[in-house]
Amino acid sequence: MKEPENSEATGHKLAFGDYEQAKAWIGRRSQMYVADVPVDESRSKYYCTLAEDGNPSYWDQTWAAMHWGGLITPPGLLMTWVMPLQWDPAGKRESPMLAMKVPLPGDTIINTGTETEFFQPVYIGDRITVIDEIVDVSPEKSTRLGTGHFIVTDGHFYNSRGELVGRNRNTLYRFKARGGQAEETS
Amino acid sequence: MKQTDQRPGWRDYPQKYWQQVEDGEQLPGLELPIDYKRIVLNAASTWDWFPGHHNPEYARAQGQENIYASTILFHGVVDRLVTDWAGPRAFIVRRGIRMQQSVYPGDTLSAQGQVTRRYRDDAGSALADIEIELRTERGVCVPATVTARLPEQGDVE
Repeated sequence: MKEPENSEATGHKLAFGDYEQAKAWIGRRSQMYVADVPVDESRSKYYCTLAEDGNPSYWDQTWAAMHWGGLITPPGLLMTWVMPLQWDPAGKRESPMLAMKVPLPGDTIINTGTETEFFQPVYIGDRITVIDEIVDVSPEKSTRLGTGHFIVTDGHFYNSRGELVGRNRNTLYRFKARGGQAEETS
Repeated sequence: MKQTDQRPGWRDYPQKYWQQVEDGEQLPGLELPIDYKRIVLNAASTWDWFPGHHNPEYARAQGQENIYASTILFHGVVDRLVTDWAGPRAFIVRRGIRMQQSVYPGDTLSAQGQVTRRYRDDAGSALADIEIELRTERGVCVPATVTARLPEQGDVE
């Protein structure tokens, strides 16, 4: 069995190994990971332009102050407030996604599903912290994309006051691509 | 809401109340043309720089046709479908999505939703479950379900 190595090709440092090694990660939790920067209005509005979402909760300061106590941010951004900067003078941080550290043979990833619960809104100025946990690693499965394993994680997201704002159960497929273009099937 | 009408800069927005929600009700659909700019905006606004979302060579080596939309874009479209229909005082309590097909530049992404259940949970919250399908020209790409909490008529804000 080859020594585990790391790959930067995905933009994440993937850990390599076999399924037996991967199973040992089930139940492991990450350290607390504090976002590089606070939740900000610029990115919130930038993201609203992506889906052309005009919800005044994200746009109308006066209305949002009345109803929510301040501008809130789209729930779709929950997972992204802890994305690391792509360059940092102190050295780029690793992704807070624990799934990347699970040793497996696949050299690439694709997200296949999310199941997210929201307990309260995320406000401009909050600084989000995440703790991630490995819930499951599937046996090897083949799909139209290739062969690999599904990794299920639970991310717990907290605001500056330490309150749980959301929980995301994420399923990610870690695989070796078939090569060439996948056939169009379901 | 009348008591707030006098505030400077105040305007109100259409809001659906939980009592007005009907089982089987169709949500107004929406369409979003997907071009290169939107896929790049997807990466930029979400800070998701996984190369499949901005590097065509990498995406093709993964078995994709081209760079593709990320999870977070689908979250935004699903959530917007629900709050456009329900109004800004609705709160998304739960959202599940499954990504079955990728979405590429040149596609038109459309979203349809239907209320499957109006109910109260054990805590008495006024909820509605909504079943959603995101589609492209190739068919359903992302089925989703949302549970939203809506304000009730007679609520004092």
